[in-house]
Amino acid sequence: MDELQQVRNFILKNFLFSEDEGSLSNEGSLIASGAIDSTGVLELIMFIEETFQIKVDEEEMIPDNLDSVEKIIAYVHRKSVSKG
Amino acid sequence: MPRSLPDIVRAHAQSDPERIAVTLGSRNCSYGQLWQEVLSFADWLKQSGFKAGDRAAIILANCPEAVVACYGTWMAGGIAVPLNAQARPRELAPWLRHCDPAALIHEAGNADIESLLDTMDAPSLRVVVGDKTDQTSAPDWNEVIAARTRPIAVVSPLEADDSPAMILFTSGTTGNPKGVTLSHRNLASNAASIVQYLELSASDSVVSTLPFYYAYGNSVLNTHLAAGGRIALELNMVFPHAVVETIARERVSGFSGVPSTFALLLSRVDVGRHDLSSLRYITQAGGPMSVATTRRLLAALPHARLFVMYGQTEATARLTWLPPGMLSRKIGSVGRAIPGVEIEIRSEGREPVGTDRIGEVWARGDNVMLGYWRDEAQTSQVLIDGWLKTGDMGRIDADGFLFLEGRRTDMIKVGAHRIYPKDVEEAIAELPGVAEVAVVGIDDELLGQIIKAFIVRSDVSSVDAMSVQAHCRARLASYKIPKHVAFVEALPKTASGKLQRRALVEAAVKREES
Repeated sequence: MDELQQVRNFILKNFLFSEDEGSLSNEGSLIASGAIDSTGVLELIMFIEETFQIKVDEEEMIPDNLDSVEKIIAYVHRKSVSKG
Repeated sequence: MPRSLPDIVRAHAQSDPERIAVTLGSRNCSYGQLWQEVLSFADWLKQSGFKAGDRAAIILANCPEAVVACYGTWMAGGIAVPLNAQARPRELAPWLRHCDPAALIHEAGNADIESLLDTMDAPSLRVVVGDKTDQTSAPDWNEVIAARTRPIAVVSPLEADDSPAMILFTSGTTGNPKGVTLSHRNLASNAASIVQYLELSASDSVVSTLPFYYAYGNSVLNTHLAAGGRIALELNMVFPHAVVETIARERVSGFSGVPSTFALLLSRVDVGRHDLSSLRYITQAGGPMSVATTRRLLAALPHARLFVMYGQTEATARLTWLPPGMLSRKIGSVGRAIPGVEIEIRSEGREPVGTDRIGEVWARGDNVMLGYWRDEAQTSQVLIDGWLKTGDMGRIDADGFLFLEGRRTDMIKVGAHRIYPKDVEEAIAELPGVAEVAVVGIDDELLGQIIKAFIVRSDVSSVDAMSVQAHCRARLASYKIPKHVAFVEALPKTASGKLQRRALVEAAVKREES
């Protein structure tokens, strides 16, 4: 399963409680839509760290990295490249 | 009679119009600008037929427009009704029907409100805030503010009298909506007491993530405006790092939160790496914070004074405060009555009990609400002989300090949110295949409590945890979705058939431990 599908499946199952792929867009804000809240983001960070074997640093916990599926994938790619 | 909140803000706007009142991201709104917009909005309301005593429902996340809408409603002689911006149509409908607003102010593109208005009589006046993406004919906020074409007549000062100023709903979906009705006197007196003990001045500024539609968030806003200070808005604690950066960047003197605010902050941010030396005070209310979190907060920010406080919506916001100097001696206490408030502990027979004896907390003062909106029956249960029966249990020690010992109700507190189990149970009970349901709050390190649902199924094949959560997500604000769902053969009940929630909480704890 590719990274995009892994992230989508996690959000669908844990925050939207759905298997309907159409209920989650890749670009929509997860916060504005009410999909994730302050504890949801902690679960998301744990998922990213465990699944992609990267460490999400404190200053990286910002909307630009985590507020949509697209942003999460872009962030994971950047981290993976820098990890090298 | 104290001066009303709008009258105080008007004075700030006249004496120092350039001073910043509200900050949201890069937006700064000065007192002068705020007051002009307040008058413009009030003028538009009046020109549009809004009358004294009419209600204006404000369904907005924290933003300068929400402040203007509230103060503008007051200047038009109306009653502001800030409603939970996270609520779904199922939750909003009974509130709107109950307060019957003449005006509705909401964010653009809110599909829930559009669908709701299709099913009920829409208020005659509507204003949409933000970029309009839909086809609604309702005017845009900026058009309304710019619409003023005539000079505003000299507005007579609003007195802080007993006329209703605000309704804050504390619960109620299909059942009885409880609309706490606060007067101008309630709001002004509570703000004055808080300004006094926090020693707030025009040089103070605060970062707050607390929504205005809750009593605490509303109080943080009103006290800082009353002091001539500044409130810097952060919309949530989803990214604690961003909140800390705002505190550091804006060099604010205060930070207000509930226990989960500080638990999230301390768990995700290395506070020592940020320059938070500007912080003079931290306020904590919204339920008891663990002693461990309190000590960690004090260790992380040793230069800031931590004010532990207690109150409830029915008392406008605040009833007691613990002077920071007493925190180490009286840790676990919520302090003593704020100026202008009396606190007593009473037995079930309503007689005052002695020192250190546990009973129900009763309160009296100018901050105690007028009553529940159009509900004399519920009002008469809590307002008795000029006193407020809080529903909270507690004791007062020999030094006069109040220690809370739980509540008489089953209300669940998730972060800053208060949830009545019945609201969630009613929604789940509508799901086909659910025979019986009960929800309880179980302890959670970060949020204080989280919701667990216990369900007896009539049809095992059609209901699983995800379908219950999905059902709730479609009908309730996200913080009301049960984090855990357990399926049981039967719910524990007394011989008379009354649900035993305590037994469910104990069962939940046992399951966690096993």
